[in-house]
Amino acid sequence: MSVFSAWTSFRNTMRSLRNGEFLLRIRADKYYVHIMYLFLLMWVTILLSLQVDKTLTRVGDNEIALKTLRIHHAEKEAALVKLKSASAAEIRLRELGSPATLPDEPATIIKSR
Amino acid sequence: MNQNSEIQDTIVGRDRIHVVMFFLSMLFMVLGIAILVWIVKIQLTYKVDDRVIDLFRPTVQKHIEAPVRGRILATDGRPLAISAPLYDLYMDCTVRKQEYIQTGKDSLERAWQEKARELAACLSAEFHDKSAADYAKAILDGRARGSKYLRLQKNLDLATLQRVKTFPLFREGPYTGGIIVEEHEERIYPYDSLARRVIGYVKEQNRIGLESSFDSELHGREGYEWRRVTDNKRWVRDLDSAQVKVQDGNDIRTTINVDFQDIADKALRAQINANEDIRAGICIIMEAKTGAIRAMVNLSRGNTPQTVLWERENLALREVGEQGSVMKTVTLLSLVEDGYVKSLDQTIPTNNGFVPNYKQDVHILDYQRETGRRDISVMHGFEISSNYVFTYLAEQHYGKQPQELFDHIYSYRLGEAFDFDITGLGRPVVNRPGTASWSKTTLGTTAYGYGLSVTPLHVATFYNGIANKGRMMKPYLVESIEKDGKVIRKFEPTALNSSICSPATADTVTRALRAVVEHGTATRLKGAKLPVCGKTGTAQVVLQPSERGGSTDPYHDAMGRKKNQGTFVGFFPSDNPKYTILVTVYSYLSGKSFYGGTMPALAIRDIVDKLYALDGEWDPEIKASAQVPVMEKTMEWEKRVVPDVKGCGLKDALYAIESAGLNCQYEGMGHVTAQSPAAGNKCDLGETVKITLK
Repeated sequence: MSVFSAWTSFRNTMRSLRNGEFLLRIRADKYYVHIMYLFLLMWVTILLSLQVDKTLTRVGDNEIALKTLRIHHAEKEAALVKLKSASAAEIRLRELGSPATLPDEPATIIKSR
Repeated sequence: MNQNSEIQDTIVGRDRIHVVMFFLSMLFMVLGIAILVWIVKIQLTYKVDDRVIDLFRPTVQKHIEAPVRGRILATDGRPLAISAPLYDLYMDCTVRKQEYIQTGKDSLERAWQEKARELAACLSAEFHDKSAADYAKAILDGRARGSKYLRLQKNLDLATLQRVKTFPLFREGPYTGGIIVEEHEERIYPYDSLARRVIGYVKEQNRIGLESSFDSELHGREGYEWRRVTDNKRWVRDLDSAQVKVQDGNDIRTTINVDFQDIADKALRAQINANEDIRAGICIIMEAKTGAIRAMVNLSRGNTPQTVLWERENLALREVGEQGSVMKTVTLLSLVEDGYVKSLDQTIPTNNGFVPNYKQDVHILDYQRETGRRDISVMHGFEISSNYVFTYLAEQHYGKQPQELFDHIYSYRLGEAFDFDITGLGRPVVNRPGTASWSKTTLGTTAYGYGLSVTPLHVATFYNGIANKGRMMKPYLVESIEKDGKVIRKFEPTALNSSICSPATADTVTRALRAVVEHGTATRLKGAKLPVCGKTGTAQVVLQPSERGGSTDPYHDAMGRKKNQGTFVGFFPSDNPKYTILVTVYSYLSGKSFYGGTMPALAIRDIVDKLYALDGEWDPEIKASAQVPVMEKTMEWEKRVVPDVKGCGLKDALYAIESAGLNCQYEGMGHVTAQSPAAGNKCDLGETVKITLK
């Protein structure tokens, strides 16, 4: 291709762009459906990608919430277990001035015949 | 002409092309040189802008996730060790200071300082360790000094941290409030010192107890994932990259019963605290049938009596020593099993307590004086824990073949460090015949408990074998390994020796052990709420050369002081043993003597009495003396009389039947020709009357 013909092509392209005929000149109307389909695919891809990000962000938040709950649970469990020992109960009863102590005798079981 | 002009035009056209091409080539050459110069300049002088680095930085980062360490549980599922993060609180005191200074916003700086004072007041109210003024001074001085890492508190729990995050200034986040929180995983032991030597710990290179032995199960496996930044600047998992899921550690369910451990710990503490000469004490409670260890207490004071009692060392596993008279049971069991002692009432001559080559037993002289007898039964010798009796019996029956007794000792697993759930079980020292340590007196001393060094766990395991009618169970501490409450591996009880003696021999020795409590050296246990049988033992501990102070006697220092250990080991209830129990106390260097029949027996009595009340096994049952009454009908339903509807139409028949409180079921058309039940019968309310119409 000579420089001249290249220049001519460039000039015609510019003119068709100016006149709004570019797509018609390159016969894009023939591929209109494909172009729209491509746009649709791109739109869906972007949308899905954003949704995936949103979901993963939520997953991350939930993991943090679960971890916090797990820590809370462990701390509360430790605190409660500490109170559950016989010694702790005895000390607490004494602090409260209760006459109750650990049993001296085992519990009596009543069984029907 | 025309031809010439065409040629001329062609030449002119070519010249133009040449000119254009020349300029183009020149242009490319200049551009090439410019690029080269640019490259050289970049290489030599260009400094990369941070914004450019950000553009080239990979948008994914590897995030390593540490596993949560598994829990150690008691036999009933109560946690003995849990993992939870704790938080250290720091403050960047210089936050936004430069910005306020550069922009001349003094009012903002003053407002920040005012909030810092409010924060100080809140911190003081929360932690009560410093006044508000002290906190404010620390923060404002830190701001003046440029402190970016002022430590405020360590080891906060999550609830406290969340409260702290709501305090003035801190609630504005790290970029204005300067709050810095560092998380670190910590192990929480809810029962503090209870069973701490059994549970153990893992601190860098120091590892002990179950935490160490089962570290591979408890630790879990680290995981990682790649994370990328979203458009909202949030880090999310990158699903396109590889990921290894973190595996949290498994839980370990032990055989430890927290209540038993608590009771034993308390009883032992009471005995040790009552006597300043006692350095340490241990207690083992083992389930007779299975060998499951329900409690293992290891309390010691440290080097001086003033130090607090704490679980400092696992003496039950590691303290290899001569156990004294509790080992006489080993000799007695062997004698009975071999048929050398056919009856416990069998007698031997007293010989004034003399056996050739051995020291005289002065207790025999007392016995002779009190009873006027010149013979003593094996039973009585065992009751009063006579060294003479067991030396005599050993020399008489095993003197020619001492190996026979030692074969028994090995079959009782007293000569080996058997496999145990916690590493470090002490290796016994046995002075066997034919070795360099064997002497003329070794057989006799071994017979009454010296010359054979074992750990308290060995002793408890041996006695448990007697309690279990000769079946010696392997002691164990871990029942199962669990994941999310589901058992993934279970450890069943196993026998170390399925028959150390016949059941009859075990019964005979049990009778002797019962007599020790009834009439012998352990009468302090007589009348306990559950019948206990067992043996006391008092031993002098071999002193370290550094403790002897120049003395040549291995048991006494230069001032004549000695270290004692007193033991009681036995089982209860004696008629149907459920638990084997051992208590040993160790003294400091002291001029006093400590016996197994005193402090250890008193501790055991306390433990047994409390277990009796606590363990549902011994709950008394009352049979109900009266039958529970059966509910009967107390109200008669009113009976309804079936009306006569024959010949009636359906409408009238329905009205009559339903008015009587009965239901109606009909078939056919016309008038009622039949009815069931017949008119005049009595029916319950709501019963159905069938009518046929034709």
